Amino acid sequence: MLFWVIAAILTLGASLAVLLPLAGGPKGASAPGDHDLEVYRDQLAELDRDVARGLIQPADAEEARAEIGRRILRLGTTGQAGTAARRPSVTTRLVATVAVLAVPLISWGLYIKLGSPDLPSQPLAERLAKNPADSSVDELVARAEAHLAANPSDGRGWDVLAPIYLRLQRYSDAVAAYRNAIRLDGVSATRQSGLGEAIANAAGGIVSAEAQDAFEAALKLDPANAKASFYLAMGLAQEGRAAEATTAWQNMLGTLPPESPWRRAVEQALAENAKRTVASGTPANGPDAQAVEAAQSMSPQDRQAMIETMVAGLDEKLKQNPRDTEGWMRLIRSYVVLGKADQARDALSRGIAVFGADSEEAKKFTAFAASLGLTATE
Amino acid sequence: MVETGHFALVLAFALSLVQMLVPLYGARAGNQKMMAVGGPVAVTGFALTALSFAALAIAYASSDFSVASVWENSHSLQPLIYKITGTWGNHEGSMLLWVLILTFFGALVAAFGSNLPATLKANVLAVQGAIGAAFFLFILATSNPFTRLNPAPIEGRDLNPVLQDLGLAIHPPLLYLGYVGFSICFSFSVAALIEGRIDASWARWVRPWTLVAWMFLTGGIAMGSYWAYYELGWGGFWFWDPVENASFMPWLAGTALLHSAIVMEKRSALKIWTLLLAILTFSLSLLGTFLVRSGVLTSVHAFATDPTRGVFILCILTLFIGGSLALFALRASRLTAGGLFHPISREGALVLNNLFLTTATATVLVGTLYPLALEAVTGGKISVGAPFFDLTFGPLMLPLLAIVPFGPLLAWKRGDVFAAAQRLMAAFAAALAAMLVTVLFVDGASVFAALGVGLAVWLVCGALTDLAVKSGFGSVTPAIMLRRFAGLPRSVFGTALAHLGLGLTLLGIVGTLSFGTEKILSMHAGETVELSGNTLRFEGLYPAQGPNYSEDRGRFVVIGADGNAKGEISSAKRFFPVRQTTTTESGIRTVWFSQLYLSLGDEGNDGSVVVRLWWKPLVTLIWGGALVMMAGAAMSLMDRRLRVGAPSRRKKLVPSASLS
Repeated sequence: MLFWVIAAILTLGASLAVLLPLAGGPKGASAPGDHDLEVYRDQLAELDRDVARGLIQPADAEEARAEIGRRILRLGTTGQAGTAARRPSVTTRLVATVAVLAVPLISWGLYIKLGSPDLPSQPLAERLAKNPADSSVDELVARAEAHLAANPSDGRGWDVLAPIYLRLQRYSDAVAAYRNAIRLDGVSATRQSGLGEAIANAAGGIVSAEAQDAFEAALKLDPANAKASFYLAMGLAQEGRAAEATTAWQNMLGTLPPESPWRRAVEQALAENAKRTVASGTPANGPDAQAVEAAQSMSPQDRQAMIETMVAGLDEKLKQNPRDTEGWMRLIRSYVVLGKADQARDALSRGIAVFGADSEEAKKFTAFAASLGLTATE
Repeated sequence: MVETGHFALVLAFALSLVQMLVPLYGARAGNQKMMAVGGPVAVTGFALTALSFAALAIAYASSDFSVASVWENSHSLQPLIYKITGTWGNHEGSMLLWVLILTFFGALVAAFGSNLPATLKANVLAVQGAIGAAFFLFILATSNPFTRLNPAPIEGRDLNPVLQDLGLAIHPPLLYLGYVGFSICFSFSVAALIEGRIDASWARWVRPWTLVAWMFLTGGIAMGSYWAYYELGWGGFWFWDPVENASFMPWLAGTALLHSAIVMEKRSALKIWTLLLAILTFSLSLLGTFLVRSGVLTSVHAFATDPTRGVFILCILTLFIGGSLALFALRASRLTAGGLFHPISREGALVLNNLFLTTATATVLVGTLYPLALEAVTGGKISVGAPFFDLTFGPLMLPLLAIVPFGPLLAWKRGDVFAAAQRLMAAFAAALAAMLVTVLFVDGASVFAALGVGLAVWLVCGALTDLAVKSGFGSVTPAIMLRRFAGLPRSVFGTALAHLGLGLTLLGIVGTLSFGTEKILSMHAGETVELSGNTLRFEGLYPAQGPNYSEDRGRFVVIGADGNAKGEISSAKRFFPVRQTTTTESGIRTVWFSQLYLSLGDEGNDGSVVVRLWWKPLVTLIWGGALVMMAGAAMSLMDRRLRVGAPSRRKKLVPSASLS
């Protein structure tokens, strides 16, 4: 509201700047010759000053004076036409009216098209000072960052922030945060395995030697750390040691408690690993290496479009061949990742419908969707 | 606040349209009221643009990342000064600064133009309004600084680290004051062409504007040169880079304009030529804007490489340059030519100056545009650098500099070269002596270096001779001489100072290029190095943390002849994590007019660091000379003859005519 008041006042001021001179009383005009005369008079005075200073010889000065005099005379013959104020014609009135109206019309018309009048200013300090309950995740993270910038030796703060970074896919920040937490509060299995995960994700999912070191350190502290074992096995698989990876994962299945969330991940990995062994290295249903490479060199919009096409293709395939448990789960996850919660829910209910509401698969789907933060119906 | 700024910008655009059309129509129809609209509208337009700029600056200072431009070019951890200067450290904000200065000059004409003929003032403001309208439209259509983001990101992407320097606070505003200042000369020229005649007051009015623009442009270029010198870490002060040339061409043309405007003002001669020069000077400014912003060039100045912007600016360029030149072709014949003069006279000397300067401008123009044209036509990339300009620009400048001291000593209308030469004997002797001393006593001095030093001394002494002669040195008693010296017109001091500054700059360039030494070596902590009589000991690398960067600072102790420490120089490599960029902070120690310059290179595996060292004799004179030139221009501006009063009859007629 305040903004519109200010805008109105500004418009009024601008319109007055046009209106007032047009509405003012008649102005006497000076003939252009008067201005020239003034200049010549000044030149004569300057000449006198130069003579007084001795900068010019008197003879030269006489000559110059004569020249300026000739210019003044010429002025007298040509400078007769003074511009007296004429009566304003109809055209003139029209032009004046259009000019006065143009200011508010153009400015408001353009502003409505270009501006965002409802968007208030958002100075950073103000945003960080407001109630945390109203803040977005980004703002909360920024607040934590500001706190840690002021108290960089707060190990607990880094410890809390690190997994959040990981979740937000800010992997290199997560690496730094885990390192700080380890440096300040010492090593622990959780921190070491988190560090490894961050390093691996920062490298695009490749379990590098550095990540392996971190996972091994975690296992040394806690031999039952599932994350570390899982990723180390993944590393083996990436190195092409599929058999060893399978053994490691099967060992994990033997030791993991039945309710562990890692169980499912391990099963999935085992299944994929088995397929990959059969198809000699290429993931069966995923996009092929060429497509992935193409996606990386695309613009964000194109990449988004490509992903959406692929998801739509999967959806179509499932309509024709619905009894594909893996396929449904991939579809649900894809929609969640794309931020299309409604379509994810739709896919979930369609998947459940295919197998029947009481089937084993339906329960699996519901649990899977819940792990992604999705409920069957609202 | 942000949206208020946005609205003010749109409103300023609307006003610029009114300013363009109404006074122009009024001047044609002879309507006083409509002509009078120009003044208040120009002042209001400036106030609105200033409000808009202030809103953007506040958004930058308070890190309002809901503004896209702030998000792209700022970071919450930057020091406040760089948050504020970041306002114009990007394409959108710098365009806003550009129009802010444009409307500022328009408002100055409106405020101080009461002594101008009404039609001339109306036409000048109309042309100024047209330039403003074109650039406001450009900003609103392609580079709106007030584009918003919703939801707002929580952190910005940081300002280009090279720009995080005090230089950004000074260089662009000075440069724009120069570039845009020439728009007033352009507007005056086009207004005269529209009217079809040139009043005597025209020249008196154009000259101070030229002086102001030239003064700021000189400062802007010098500041840019010094900034590049210490920030880029190569120790060079001029690279003949197209962007530098883009600012240098208007300077050369503006210098020519400055001199031809003197002739026009004093003798009513060279009118048409001056008009053309004024048009060309601003056209070159516009060309510079186009080159820098269209993405044709790649450099730290090329903020954006959006082709639509390039096309838009090209349209503006075509419209104004083409339009004004077409108008010139149509109307120039109607203008009356001015007074006659003998070839050997002050006028003649100034014509010669103009010939050299415009040829030099053309040379730089060819050197700048040829590679671009070649790339556009054949796709081949060539680089035109120092060797080209040394062979073309250099030989043009040498004779020009040699005749500079003669100019002020010649009389108007018809002069006496021999009398002038006689008066310059002392200066000539000093120059010869300087050359001899250079050849005999400086090791490794080439003939060219000696000539350069001689030329510089010739310029400096020539400027002093001018002052001495005009005070009556040798013909009157010292007391009278002192009185006459104090009573000299300010413009005489201005001329002498500007020419003296030119000599100093030349001396700095010759000194640095001819007698400079450099060393590149790998150093361990504790080692010492010696360069041209300076001994330095490397203390080691010290890591440090800045507000938004981390740095490795290499500290060096300067050791005097007695073995004691005389001072410290430190150079740093800074890493800015947000942009993942490294910059080099050079270390400089000034000894009199010379400088010891060092910058850090890469670190070796064994803890050693590559160190580049330069000894740059007299280097500060390059920029010191520019400051003296600026002082000369300021002095000239204070001359009383530039303050011509309004016709007194008008005051009697309308006692309350003070509108603006």
